[in-house]
Amino acid sequence: MDVPSHYIQSYCTIRDRSIALNGTTWLKMDSSTTLADFLKSAYRQLDIDYPKFHKMDGLCKAIFIATELMTRDSGPYPSDTALIFSNRSSSYLSDNKHALGIFNTENATASPATFVYTLPNIALGEISIRHQLHSENVFFIFDRYSPEFLVPYTQAALDDKKLANAISGWTEISGHTCDLLLYYIGKSGSVPHTVAQLKRIYNEHE
Amino acid sequence: MKTDVFISGDCIISPLGMGSKLNFEQLLTGETAIAPVDDATLADHRIHAARIADHQWIGKIRNASGYTRLETLFILAIQQLIDAHSIPVDRRTLVLLSTTKGNVSLLHNPEAQFPENRIYLAEMAHAIQHYFGFANAPITISNACISGALALSVARQLLQYSDTYDQALVVGGDEISKFIVSGFEAFQALSDGRCRPFDRDRNGLNLGEAIAAAYVTKKATDDAVRIKAAASFNDANHISGPSRTGEGLYRSIREAMQLAGEPMLDFISAHGTATVYNDEMEAIALHRAGLSDTPLHSLKAYYGHTLGASGLLETILGIHSLRANRLIPSLGFQHTGTSKPLNLITQPTERPLGTFLKTASGFGGCNIAMIFEKV
Repeated sequence: MDVPSHYIQSYCTIRDRSIALNGTTWLKMDSSTTLADFLKSAYRQLDIDYPKFHKMDGLCKAIFIATELMTRDSGPYPSDTALIFSNRSSSYLSDNKHALGIFNTENATASPATFVYTLPNIALGEISIRHQLHSENVFFIFDRYSPEFLVPYTQAALDDKKLANAISGWTEISGHTCDLLLYYIGKSGSVPHTVAQLKRIYNEHE
Repeated sequence: MKTDVFISGDCIISPLGMGSKLNFEQLLTGETAIAPVDDATLADHRIHAARIADHQWIGKIRNASGYTRLETLFILAIQQLIDAHSIPVDRRTLVLLSTTKGNVSLLHNPEAQFPENRIYLAEMAHAIQHYFGFANAPITISNACISGALALSVARQLLQYSDTYDQALVVGGDEISKFIVSGFEAFQALSDGRCRPFDRDRNGLNLGEAIAAAYVTKKATDDAVRIKAAASFNDANHISGPSRTGEGLYRSIREAMQLAGEPMLDFISAHGTATVYNDEMEAIALHRAGLSDTPLHSLKAYYGHTLGASGLLETILGIHSLRANRLIPSLGFQHTGTSKPLNLITQPTERPLGTFLKTASGFGGCNIAMIFEKV
């Protein structure tokens, strides 16, 4: 078998109301906690001052928290770190809010602050600003978590641009569901960037 | 193993008609799809937009009632390509769909005729897969206004660096809905008439509808065009405002030019939405890249901003421009309106053409530059 060229350096999972970094629980809250309160608690626990966080929608907040945790573990992301993300519901949380506003029969409204978040790749813009990443962004929509597509594509993108690093994964955040796995890929480490490993990591967080 | 990747076929469905050759010919005669639209389901006042007419799609596919308007248009474009090139629907063919909002018009819309789960892009992809019986589930890319060009770039990377697929169908499309109109209006981004890309008096964009499809292969046909290079960089500056320095677009252009071996460009197909800030940003990025003198057009005054289709639509028309050796004029431009002047194409000039640059930029700070050349 070929020697893998890239490895998982760190990874973060968010399931329901718990967050784990490299498989170790970092925050766990009661399942009755609202998504908004849960994400706010996680932000407080990060103990940083980043006012932009409060303007973000739930998808962006969850991705922001996960990327913040991974950089604490594996160091600053190089500015050419590629961002290759996926989910099922795209930007549903903000789509829903915008659509409710425009079809409100009593007081129809459209707000730019909501509308701007009706694109899933806005989250990639948010973390690019936070970590000063000038890099390629791709946001895929799949029916389900699909390492069978994501891993070979990410490898092709890394090989194409001769890149060492990428952040990749699955970020399904809706009103009821929190199902996120993000991982930071680099040239060294013990967990190879393979479909089998990414299936294992995805399934380890109960 | 690194192989070259080509665009060997294409299809456009737009308000100007069905077929990319027809669309290209329409542009040379100065035809525009943008017209006044008075439709209370979109806005409570007149807008200027480019919409695909009902007769262009209604009743044109099998089991028509099972598919939304947008799905029907995607299916029509894919069918054209499959028929023209005998493309297999097996495991070796990947379908990449590019859309910013898909069937979002159904969301909370009291007039919607489909179940609301159809707003999920994976459901739309599934419907399209099912129609043709594609062995692979189509992959959808939703990356704001660079989606169409980015999907081409992703297809190239997959064909070039992975042996999973032999060919890809890359199809981009979006439709105009109240969802989108109200959002762009909230940003005060819509023009009060036909848009004027790069002009002094530009005051916003028009929304447009189109489906654009490209057949991407590892083998070149006689009139194929090579995807020579692609590069994409985020501005890391602002989620909705274009960078003042054009940083991400500048980096994208520089890297694409370097990867392509610093070719002489015959023209540039710019993004050119005709908003004040976008066009200024592009002019700065192109100036920094030393490309201010290269002939350039924006096609937004013909089609409006077709969102998830735009990068693909404009690439395909650029390819037809190469083949015909005719430059497409930049409609709507009269007076220089950017701090760094550009060389806007004003006449459908005939001259030998071999290579062009396509750029696009979008919300989230994303940018892409791609270079195409005749085989």
